[in-house]
Amino acid sequence: MTHAVATATRLPRLPIGQRAFWLIAPALVLIGVFLVLPYLNIVVMSLREPAVGAPYGAGLTIGNYTRILGDGYFLGVLADTLLLGFTTTVICLLLGYPVAYHLARTTSRYQSLLYVLVLSPLLVGVVVRSFGWLILLSGNGVVNRALLDLGLLETGLQLINNRLGVTIALVHVFLPFMILPLIGVIQSIDPVLETAGQSLGASRLMVFWRLVLPLSWPGIQAGSILVFVLTLSAYVTPVMLGGAQMKTMSVLVVQNLIDNFQWPTGAALALILSACGLVAVAVYARLTSLLMKGVQ
Amino acid sequence: MSGAPRRRSGVGRLLATLWILAVYVFLMLPIVMIVLMSLNAGEILAFPPQGLSLRWFVALFNNEAFMRAIGTSVLVAGIAMLVSTVVGTAAALYVVRHAGRLREGLRLVLLLPLMLPEILTAIALLFFLYATGIGTRTMFGLVVGHILVTLPYVFTNVASSLFNYDASIEQAARSLGATPAVTFRRVTLPLIKPGIITGALFAFVISFDLFNMSLLLKGIGMTTLPLQLFDYLRWDFDPTAAAVSTVSILLTFGVVFWIDRVVGLRSLRFG
Amino acid sequence: MTRLVLEGLRKTFNGVAAVHHLDLATSEGEFISLLGPSGCGKTTTLRCVAGFEYPDTGRVLLDGEEVTGQPPERRDIGMVFQNYALFPHLTVQRNLAFGLEMRRIDKVAIRRRVDAVLGMVQLSSMLDRYPRQLSGGQQQRVALARALVIEPRLLLLDEPLANLDAVLRDEMRVFIRELQKRVGITTLYVTHDQAEAMVMSDRIAVLLDGKLAQLGPPEDIYLRPRSVEVARFIGRSNLIEGTVDSAHASGIAGGTIPVRTAMGVVSARHDRPLLPGEPVHVAIRPEAIGFAGGHREQPQAAGSGAAGERVAGMDAQATTSLHECTVNRAYFLGAAVEHVVQCRGDISLVVQTAHAQRVAEGGRAAIVLGPDSAWVIPRAP
Repeated sequence: MTHAVATATRLPRLPIGQRAFWLIAPALVLIGVFLVLPYLNIVVMSLREPAVGAPYGAGLTIGNYTRILGDGYFLGVLADTLLLGFTTTVICLLLGYPVAYHLARTTSRYQSLLYVLVLSPLLVGVVVRSFGWLILLSGNGVVNRALLDLGLLETGLQLINNRLGVTIALVHVFLPFMILPLIGVIQSIDPVLETAGQSLGASRLMVFWRLVLPLSWPGIQAGSILVFVLTLSAYVTPVMLGGAQMKTMSVLVVQNLIDNFQWPTGAALALILSACGLVAVAVYARLTSLLMKGVQ
Repeated sequence: MSGAPRRRSGVGRLLATLWILAVYVFLMLPIVMIVLMSLNAGEILAFPPQGLSLRWFVALFNNEAFMRAIGTSVLVAGIAMLVSTVVGTAAALYVVRHAGRLREGLRLVLLLPLMLPEILTAIALLFFLYATGIGTRTMFGLVVGHILVTLPYVFTNVASSLFNYDASIEQAARSLGATPAVTFRRVTLPLIKPGIITGALFAFVISFDLFNMSLLLKGIGMTTLPLQLFDYLRWDFDPTAAAVSTVSILLTFGVVFWIDRVVGLRSLRFG
Repeated sequence: MTRLVLEGLRKTFNGVAAVHHLDLATSEGEFISLLGPSGCGKTTTLRCVAGFEYPDTGRVLLDGEEVTGQPPERRDIGMVFQNYALFPHLTVQRNLAFGLEMRRIDKVAIRRRVDAVLGMVQLSSMLDRYPRQLSGGQQQRVALARALVIEPRLLLLDEPLANLDAVLRDEMRVFIRELQKRVGITTLYVTHDQAEAMVMSDRIAVLLDGKLAQLGPPEDIYLRPRSVEVARFIGRSNLIEGTVDSAHASGIAGGTIPVRTAMGVVSARHDRPLLPGEPVHVAIRPEAIGFAGGHREQPQAAGSGAAGERVAGMDAQATTSLHECTVNRAYFLGAAVEHVVQCRGDISLVVQTAHAQRVAEGGRAAIVLGPDSAWVIPRAP
């Protein structure tokens, strides 16, 4: 047996390597050109001079920002929007966690059906769903009709064109976004852990409070951030159910872009909203990761 | 343990069950309402419905604006579905099988449209189209926007399909004499077909229902179904709108049930 | 009937060498196991032979033809994977036909060969089943059939029995080996299970840390390990340090030689020349040690030196030694009893005997080391 070691001839690479790059090129081009670049462009747009008769004028200025941040009305809408995001998220969490837990742990035959029930509102379309709430909550809607016809009330309740109606509808729209990530996380918690906790003397409540809840924290975090961000940027639902009384930032943004043709203002509003959203999420993430340290 | 805690947990159980039931009812309520409205024989949007009738569906089919809007929606959704599926599947193949160290980074990039608010993306594209002179005269911007939003869904579904089946199957095919091309065609593709189909259907349904994107990127004279419905509801409040919504609902539920039968909903990925 | 030759195979991953410098040559129709703990490089070696890895340096030759750079589909190999890797969307028949279709064999011949090979693995009734409808053992046999039906020149198996339960594993070992002998195909078998390797192989290649530690028939590996690492890896071994007794050094390779150890002089076999005073290890298998008829017995052989040494009483022919010890532990294993005994010089040994020859815990006894009990492993490489 000789020890003649072959000098390394050019061996073809087994995974196709370079040639396979063409597989991902279209996606990268698509996202790079039509997403990354345009986003950078929003920033530029927010710094442009507003104009009359045209979307924007020549020159750059930070006047848009100073104008918005100094205007009580805008700040009020911003605060309203953030508050809306916050309340929607909390309610979604309270409503959604039990459902997620149940779906994650259930073994009944209806599991698939229940999953469909959670999933389909998501896919039905936001206009349809907001419309549905309009039917239910408007002055002449189902709820009011029922209350009046049954004689429970004298006059109807104001359920739309206010924060309440918008919140209810937003919760409905984004509830699946809270439930679905939670299901995933709860499923990854081994049920054996709960059994072990009980064998050590913990009541079911204790098991939940000390074991399941901390371990599902990553899911809670993911779902909360998702719902919060989605709520901040929701447009259709606040427009349909908020009317003139309850406006959110997104409504203002679209107003400026489409109705008033004030693109720089709209861009600045959008960016301010995004910045606030990011800050809120960052603060939340920081707080919760401190809490989660024990779990990780 | 005494009997008392057991009783307490029984009540707790009941409460929890009621709570969960209530949430499910809450989730279904508006949708059920709409379907009932659409079958209402009466004029006004009232409950309980005054008899059952299909007249509003007839009205819908006679409503030119709605029918045109449906057509546009189907067209845009169809194109978005095709492009997303091809691009997304190719991307998934690369990321799962060939990406190596870049895998996580690439995954993040491909999920970017999902992580960013749809309305911001729409705004960004609007400015971009204007800046590049493409404008909104054609459907180009609209379709691109839809493709961007649907791409991550196809990607994650195909990628998870690829993850779930063993690479050694492809190696087995190679060891039996199949070239990489034959392996892809006869082994990989059939096995990820469910993931591809699911992603494609998902893309279609999502594109069909997009609002914010269509609102900002549509050109003059064109409209999609959600936009048309929205407009209609500003002026008219009759069950024709409910009929339109019901059509949309039926389409969605049909797709979801079909996906569940073929692939199982549990395997759906949202990013 | 192919000869596989590996020359100077070397493969690194991220700067760490999985395989250092492997030379291996098989004979035609031989069954060679690559045996070693996880991470020893055996799977990497197999993948280099199959073509799923390319070595950094070195060559792979099949019947003298270099295949090192060829893609897997051109090497004409049959491979069986640990998790079977059956195509889930194809029936058993289509699975088996796949390789033949790649070779453009006509449909009639495919049908004939598929039927024949299914008969060989006794699964003829499973033709139209899908892999998910088969049990683990059945899937394993289909995987084997799929690799064999194409009549490759080399059969590669990557720990194929790892996922089967113990009983099935025993059956399949014999089954695979019989099948291989019948077909006569050169086979490379990767496993970490020693019993498996010993039952099935013509020769075993023990791989430790990416290097070939020893290559030889199972008996050689077990009874005559070349290094302490191999002795430790294969079966259970007692390893004692010692030096070759200066008075009785042997220039001959072969036979037995006395070795001075802390517990006394032990007579051990060797097969290479040894120098007087050379430091060596003595490897003694637990089952090769017996108890001298119970406790507190006086050794039979003539004369005892001080403190139990037997040098004076041992002549050049004496190959049996007795050593006093205390039994610290005794474990009932079912078929045998395992004792942990403490001998002179603080040497602890594991002694395995049949049930009838057991000694109770705490007892004193004398262990007997016969002419075949011990083996010399030189300490220098």
